[in-house]
Amino acid sequence: MTRATLMLSALATAAVLAAGAVRAGEDEILIGGALSLTGVQAPLDEPGFKGAQVAVKFLNDNGGLLGKPVRFVNIDGKSDPVTVGNAAVELIDQGADFIVAPCDFDFGGPASREAQAAGLVGISTCASDPLYSSWSLGDKQFTLSMWNTTMGATAAEFAFNEKGWKTAYVVTDQFIAYTKSLSKYFVEHYANIGGRILLEDTYTNGDNDFSAQLARLQALEEKPEVIFISSYGSDIAFIIRTLREVGIDSPVVGGDSYDDPALHEALGERFGNDIYYVTHTFMSPEAHPDMPKFLELYRAMYGEAPDTAFVATGWDTIMLLAQAAEIAGTTDGDAVARALESNEFNLLTGKLRYKNAEEGHEPDKAAAMVALEGGKPVFLGWRRPENPPKP
Amino acid sequence: MTAAIQFVIDVLSLGGAYALMALGLVIVYGILRLVNFAYGELIMAAGYTLYLVSASPLPWLVMAVLAVGAAVVTGIATDYVAFRPVRAKSVTAVLITSFAFSTLLQNAAQLLISPRPRSIPLPEVFSDTVTLFGVVTPARNLITIAAAAVLLSLFTLAMRRTVLGIAMRAAATHFTMARMLGVPANLVISTAFAISGLLAGTVALLWLGRIGTVVPRVGLEPLLIAFIATVIGGMRSLEGAVLGGFLLAFIDTALNYSLPQDLLKFRDAFTFSLVILILLWRPAGLVRGPATGQRT
Repeated sequence: MTRATLMLSALATAAVLAAGAVRAGEDEILIGGALSLTGVQAPLDEPGFKGAQVAVKFLNDNGGLLGKPVRFVNIDGKSDPVTVGNAAVELIDQGADFIVAPCDFDFGGPASREAQAAGLVGISTCASDPLYSSWSLGDKQFTLSMWNTTMGATAAEFAFNEKGWKTAYVVTDQFIAYTKSLSKYFVEHYANIGGRILLEDTYTNGDNDFSAQLARLQALEEKPEVIFISSYGSDIAFIIRTLREVGIDSPVVGGDSYDDPALHEALGERFGNDIYYVTHTFMSPEAHPDMPKFLELYRAMYGEAPDTAFVATGWDTIMLLAQAAEIAGTTDGDAVARALESNEFNLLTGKLRYKNAEEGHEPDKAAAMVALEGGKPVFLGWRRPENPPKP
Repeated sequence: MTAAIQFVIDVLSLGGAYALMALGLVIVYGILRLVNFAYGELIMAAGYTLYLVSASPLPWLVMAVLAVGAAVVTGIATDYVAFRPVRAKSVTAVLITSFAFSTLLQNAAQLLISPRPRSIPLPEVFSDTVTLFGVVTPARNLITIAAAAVLLSLFTLAMRRTVLGIAMRAAATHFTMARMLGVPANLVISTAFAISGLLAGTVALLWLGRIGTVVPRVGLEPLLIAFIATVIGGMRSLEGAVLGGFLLAFIDTALNYSLPQDLLKFRDAFTFSLVILILLWRPAGLVRGPATGQRT
């Protein structure tokens, strides 16, 4: 053996020892997170990360999980699918018992695939595309969010059944799977329950130019009774402002990407009216009796109120895993996955029951309906669509 | 007829913003022959300045001046941090430092403020509409057209009539020769960065005025637009950058109006195909710049 190989093997031994030193012991439960705290995915993952930390502290202050303390380690997935996958591998090497995956199929999928390969339960904080299913990821993988089938159907039923808006104009941002599938399921369900789509138009995220679409909308002979806009980020406020400025006052309906205080502020008192969106929860006791308790714990930890309701998805992810592990009496992947499949959970983000692995782990979940009035969100209540479209 | 007027206003207002973006990028490129990839972050810096001063009782115009000032300062800082230390050594190094500075600023905004959008203050007039020849159009479209016209003429005048402007044009034509004749290199370059910041700051007001919020990655789209516009127009020519900006806005708007829904999803593919066709026809861009090749 040459000197170089000797040194290499010594290094390798040291690495193994070092790895062993950080391995989770038998006397604690390690929850590994591959959430992205930097990059394009950070706006959705950072709130989940903060909410998860509050939940872990709460568990530890109340005797831990299965009698053991809980440790939450997050390795930044950097909004890169490969890095997210590697972060999950690293966490599994450290002895993670569960994997918390980013809030999106493209970014979260790799973490769930690694969790599945290691026989662990993996769960995304808020991925809502129906691709996030046990069909594509495996029988121990879940997403905390309702699917876009539910989100689109809830919006359609709210518009057609509750409000009686019979004709719709639909704008679809071609940005990501989320924006495209949300429109698809809205249109499908709205047509199924008897609504009529006057026009479907296309927008490209980042354009900040809606003039051509506006010209087409104004050229319609019939004024739509409702406008459904599936877009993402600051473009939503831009599109709504553009419509309202020229006097188009039809009500606007959308999905959980509207759930953003910066968007509400950007619309303000002048344009933030007659807008309705389907989202995960609402930060008041009307949505869940435990909400004030969570908000208080959050403030105690960070010294300020959360800037988005998405923080509740992080809390719920950890609490859902904890409840399932308590029911199963173990952190074993199979047992926890079966516990998740066979119970109903009452979460801050709504009542949740998963279908079994053959049915894709489809989340049968309540959706929160929120209205904007004078730029301020108002909770309208929980909704559960009757027959959401099949993915 | 109203449709035609609407179309012209749309093209001119989008083109005005694009032209200013492109001009801010090309002013530095013209002299250094290097693309400043941290250009988008000048717009971001102006946006976050607006957000940070939004709670103060200052009138909006003062906030706007502060925001443009922040973009100018960031522009000059780009020169000092990313360009000057490595400028003379290697092109690759400058390319990488400008990328690094861009990432650094974006991550700083992400860590110190938030990765989530923040709303910025806008004056009422940005949300008002005016009726022009029977067309209802947002007032900010006309403000954009006016701002672009004023800035472009001021800029042209400054480049033709002032000593600094003439020095900058000389430096853009043949940098080594200009230096030999006594044009101070550092001053010219820093001025170019300051002007780049001034244009970016103004663009930020107009562009973010459409959006209403600022995020750490808000500068990526303007950087891309500016880059494509300068490539079409000719990377060495200031007039070319302006022409490229208006042409890109025309292409985008015309495609938005004319493509059927099934194809509109692929609009960017059509835009870039047209850009490629233009480049096949005129590989150096539509307007040729000064005929020298040497970089400093």
